[in-house]
Amino acid sequence: MRAYELMKETFYRRSYIWIVHVSWFALYGLYWWLFLPEGPDFGKFVFVWGGFLLPLALSAGIFGDDIGSGRICVLVTKPFWSGELYLFRLLGLSFQAVVHLLLAGALVLGLHAVMDKGNTTDLGLWLLASWLLFNTCAALSTTLSVFVGRAFNSLLLLVLVAAGYFVMGMLMRMLGDNAMTGAFMSFVRYGWPPFTLLHKFAAGEYGPFALTVGKFSIAKDIACVVHSLMLAAAYSVLGIVILSRREFSRVRD
Amino acid sequence: MRNQRNAWTMIVVAALLLEGWALYVVSLSPRRWRPALIVQDEPAAHALYDGMMAAIQQAERLSYDGFCPGPDARVSFYTVHQAKPDRFRIDVVNGMSSKSATVVGDGNDVWTFWSGERPYLTIDDDQSAAEARSDAYVRRAMSAGPPGIARDITLFGRPYYKLILDPDIFHDHTDPLEPYIDGVRSRGRNDVDDVVCDVIEVSYMQAQRTRFFWIAREDHLPRRIKEVVRRAEISVAIEQWQKPVVDEDIPAKTFVWSPPEGWQRWVPPSPERFLLATGSEAPDFTLPAVRKGAISLSDYRGQVVWLYLWQVGSPQCYEQMRFLQTLHEQYGDKGLAILGLNFTDDRRIVRAFLKTNGLTFPTMLDTSHIAKRVVWGDYGNKPLDVPLSYVIGRDGKVVDAWFGYEEDSQRGRDALAKAGRPVEDRPGP
Repeated sequence: MRAYELMKETFYRRSYIWIVHVSWFALYGLYWWLFLPEGPDFGKFVFVWGGFLLPLALSAGIFGDDIGSGRICVLVTKPFWSGELYLFRLLGLSFQAVVHLLLAGALVLGLHAVMDKGNTTDLGLWLLASWLLFNTCAALSTTLSVFVGRAFNSLLLLVLVAAGYFVMGMLMRMLGDNAMTGAFMSFVRYGWPPFTLLHKFAAGEYGPFALTVGKFSIAKDIACVVHSLMLAAAYSVLGIVILSRREFSRVRD
Repeated sequence: MRNQRNAWTMIVVAALLLEGWALYVVSLSPRRWRPALIVQDEPAAHALYDGMMAAIQQAERLSYDGFCPGPDARVSFYTVHQAKPDRFRIDVVNGMSSKSATVVGDGNDVWTFWSGERPYLTIDDDQSAAEARSDAYVRRAMSAGPPGIARDITLFGRPYYKLILDPDIFHDHTDPLEPYIDGVRSRGRNDVDDVVCDVIEVSYMQAQRTRFFWIAREDHLPRRIKEVVRRAEISVAIEQWQKPVVDEDIPAKTFVWSPPEGWQRWVPPSPERFLLATGSEAPDFTLPAVRKGAISLSDYRGQVVWLYLWQVGSPQCYEQMRFLQTLHEQYGDKGLAILGLNFTDDRRIVRAFLKTNGLTFPTMLDTSHIAKRVVWGDYGNKPLDVPLSYVIGRDGKVVDAWFGYEEDSQRGRDALAKAGRPVEDRPGP
């Protein structure tokens, strides 16, 4: 019951959440109608909008609102482990993503049937990759929300991701291939939300005609899924630890 | 409580092991991926490759539509017509801008021209870029041997993705990469546009690049080619064939073209004009060595230096570097320094290449903008082409500079002799 209540809360904690979902569907439809088949693959569009931008929109202020209003003090004094707050809210977000992406898939299939445009061959893979990315970004954003006030967690994550890729590009350009850039690239590749890995996974680049490793294609697909779920878990553990140890002020913003 | 703690410990350990396995599989460890990528030859798959090449070379006439999509959603659409012995026409259209370029070989001359403005090429400077920008054509006389279509296609410019398979193969020219095939293996069946195809994977030069060919069972011609080139960054190119037709009549006028009234002939400038002139001071530089430390040109003042710019994916560089290694072994302690400079390739690939081929002369490796400034700005390699050789005298002045490779390396030996460090005609091992 408690889990259900906490998960349900994520659906209506802010009035614009429904607007976000509806707007995203409208964007998917518009993109399909206007740009296919000339534009880049639809899957990549869903990957960015549904996998990265959607969790930012849905998780904005997920703990920051409670901290700002003082409600968090009530929540953490409830007779259950405060980590459950984090876990069930994150699960609520993940469940929202499942529903959202399934509806997006249905919308796309419907548009494809009606308009006979575009290619839906790898749509399932892209939706799965989007969900995996969603979980990772949602976990990171939720963790940031535990110590960043109001709804700035999403903005902060957006800035961090943009800055990270900008710095990566500059380092590669200026310093080329050396130990420092190699270390930074490894951190971005394995410690940061796995944009590139999941993109390659969804694009079938770990399949039979792989770009890098020709063998172990199925293993690599599974490893991508495992790694992204583990990353989400690692971010969650961090968020739970911070939430458990933090003392909250009763002073309202 | 204790059981609970044990359970959590086991869960954490299991999660860490699982994550460790996942990272091991997804990580790009060269010790693992290189052996996996260097293809071991399978006779049946190699026979498919040979059959494809034979099907192309044995045709008297060949026509197909091709398209080459890029990662940025640009597409280049090709129409190719070829007829033995030496006639061809290749039209390309840029999918986004609808601009086009064409090369026509009529048996005597090769004509290259563009619709609208000629694009800015890497061999252009401000003056040449202003010359003949529109209604321009290039004309060159055909020489004996393969037509050299790939060279003409480079004049199309950057708006167009290039064909992967050398069109000269139709004119009985061997693919330049064929001597460097590691092996060919089968990748099963995968249909393209409802055409049943066998897929083969071919790796070249110790997996510096890999090509996948989708070979149609009905005519042994390719329907799709995918090339993966592993430099500092991995690049992927795709070429798709549609409606290939063999030995059907092609109207003779397809291979005929003459410039319309008012068009200007443009003579592409030689890229060597940007190189440092003989007698000019060779700019000093310090770049990281491929193994350890750094190498400065000034460290070799007092010796004759052959500075050699190369990359792993260039077969010409392979050949020249064997000669340079021999010079290094014979004259390295007799006043001749061979310095290699690679500014494009991945460190792991370069190290493996040097080790595999027994190349021990000092080599610099730097893919940053610093190296590009030295190569492009200081040493005049505007097209960033390889191989490029500079012979620098004991006084630090340029003796000679040239692009390309000569089988007998006569130009290099002449330059060394001029610099006061002559070498034998054919230095022994």
